[in-house]
Amino acid sequence: MLKATRIFPSSDSLTLEGERLLEPILKTENLWKVYRQGKVEVPALRGVSIDIFPGEFVSIMGPSGCGKSTMLHVIGGLAQATSGRVLLDGNDLTTMSDSARTLLRRHKVGFVFQRFNLLPTLDAYHNITLAQHIHGNGFDPHRFQVVADLLGLSGRLKHKPSELSGGEQQRVALARAIVSEPKIVLADEPTGNLDTKSSEAVLNLLRQLNQDLGQTIVMITHNPEAAAYGHRVLHMRDGEVVDGSSVH
Amino acid sequence: MIRYMIVQNVLHRPLRTFITVLAVAVEVTLVIIVVGLTSGLLAESAKRIEGVGADIMVQPPQASYLMAFSGAPMPIAIADKLAQLEYVQAVAPVLTQFNTSGIEIVYGIDQQSFHAVTGGFVFHQGHDLQGPNDILVDDVYAKSKNIKLGQTLQLFGHDFHVAGIVEHGKGARLFVFLSTLQEIGGSHDKASVFFIKCDRTDNTPAVTDEIKDLLPRYEVRPLKDLMTLMTSSNLPGLAAFINVMIGIAVVIGFLVIFLSMYTTIIERTREIGVLKSLGASKGYIVRIVLSETTLLCIGGAVAGVGLSYLMSAIFIKLFPTLTILITALWVLRAGLIAIVGGLLGAAYPAWMASRKDPVEALAYE
Repeated sequence: MLKATRIFPSSDSLTLEGERLLEPILKTENLWKVYRQGKVEVPALRGVSIDIFPGEFVSIMGPSGCGKSTMLHVIGGLAQATSGRVLLDGNDLTTMSDSARTLLRRHKVGFVFQRFNLLPTLDAYHNITLAQHIHGNGFDPHRFQVVADLLGLSGRLKHKPSELSGGEQQRVALARAIVSEPKIVLADEPTGNLDTKSSEAVLNLLRQLNQDLGQTIVMITHNPEAAAYGHRVLHMRDGEVVDGSSVH
Repeated sequence: MIRYMIVQNVLHRPLRTFITVLAVAVEVTLVIIVVGLTSGLLAESAKRIEGVGADIMVQPPQASYLMAFSGAPMPIAIADKLAQLEYVQAVAPVLTQFNTSGIEIVYGIDQQSFHAVTGGFVFHQGHDLQGPNDILVDDVYAKSKNIKLGQTLQLFGHDFHVAGIVEHGKGARLFVFLSTLQEIGGSHDKASVFFIKCDRTDNTPAVTDEIKDLLPRYEVRPLKDLMTLMTSSNLPGLAAFINVMIGIAVVIGFLVIFLSMYTTIIERTREIGVLKSLGASKGYIVRIVLSETTLLCIGGAVAGVGLSYLMSAIFIKLFPTLTILITALWVLRAGLIAIVGGLLGAAYPAWMASRKDPVEALAYE
């Protein structure tokens, strides 16, 4: 079991070690995910137990195939766990139906992917508002403007993904992830397809989102420099979290 | 939002959209033209028979409304019996023969009685039938075949002399002597139909009843009702034909939309994964697929209606004797058939899209 550290996201970085003051926004208990390949069972997660607290920016690092992407899919409700528990904002994902997990993703999770995954037929504006539409609360112009300004997208909203640079596309993807005010943002190698300069810009934006809006973020990366942007880093190997105490 | 998304999707692949819309348009055109041709044929036949001016038509047992397809002719002696009935003013025996080379009905007429019933022909050129090889053609036929007065016209392997060109609308487009047609068809002293003129129109029901008593198994039809009777649903053969053609059209639409949406879903697998990651429900994804299908089908239906009018104009230009009846009801029906067929075709791809595993969909290359 990890000894998690509570870190306040404010610029004061008030840190309280020891007893926690808040309930975790995300908690996994002995989480297993086993894939079947023919008759062979391949465990991707082997009893992972972690706590992520509101306002934290946590990086998950590990080599290819260590199970970090699987972990992101399971804690984000995209994939069902084989055993164990995942509690997201008090909801146990492991006992939920597919449609209940869909509803939970809609209201509580924002995803950012390595390959941006914007809809190529829609411009930046509609890629972002699509999330609000699916969320079902209608278009919130105030929230949209705050997010667009924060991510420096105001001048690029009428452009389609094919007309945007990689860094701009990832900023649109970030905007889409946070526009509906999710409880947690799950970023899967968000800088994996970007050059150094764009990577730095995106990482700074993630940090800014965490600091200014108090957005809880879990980011997967294989890059130690990128991981260092988080408050703490969880190291994974062979489907297990082997070290989770690094604090920056 | 969904509306904007599907419009953008449709515009994103213009060739796919064009081919799909065209296929649906062909489906709609097929329905409208097939129904238009059959309805046109029926309406035109009915109009021409009405144009004869008779009050009652007597045909052999189980004869069709379409006289060209009628069964065995009746003894001509029946005409004398009919003429003796009360309120009957005139009886015109007519032998019909289908000219397969020109797809036309030829009337063999007894000129005197036919004139008595119809009031006589209106001549554009020429005169009444005089010799056994004389033929009268109506103005539409003459124009479409470029037939001139006095020329020779070959029908049933027989050379006819065009004696006159008459105003259209008297039952058929070609008229020869009854005796000539009887000889050609080997049906001596026979007639296919008797047109009866009553002394007063009010007496038509009474005369109809009299004839039914006299000739119990025969088809006795007041011509006032003919137009309403001449619908495809009253002609079982034609109704079946139309249904088969509609079935073929629906299958074409179904397959085209199925293939189009199936390949679209495969192509958009990753996008579906993205929508799912954003929390889009199965219903939301089905709605997107079916909305896009509806848009394509509506586009196809509108194009199909336009194409139908274009095809109709081309057909009429090429074959002036044809009548294609395009009605608002069938335009609407053809559109609905295309949309329903399209939605059925899109049902499986939509279901397939909604059930995609989000993780696999996001990993799709």
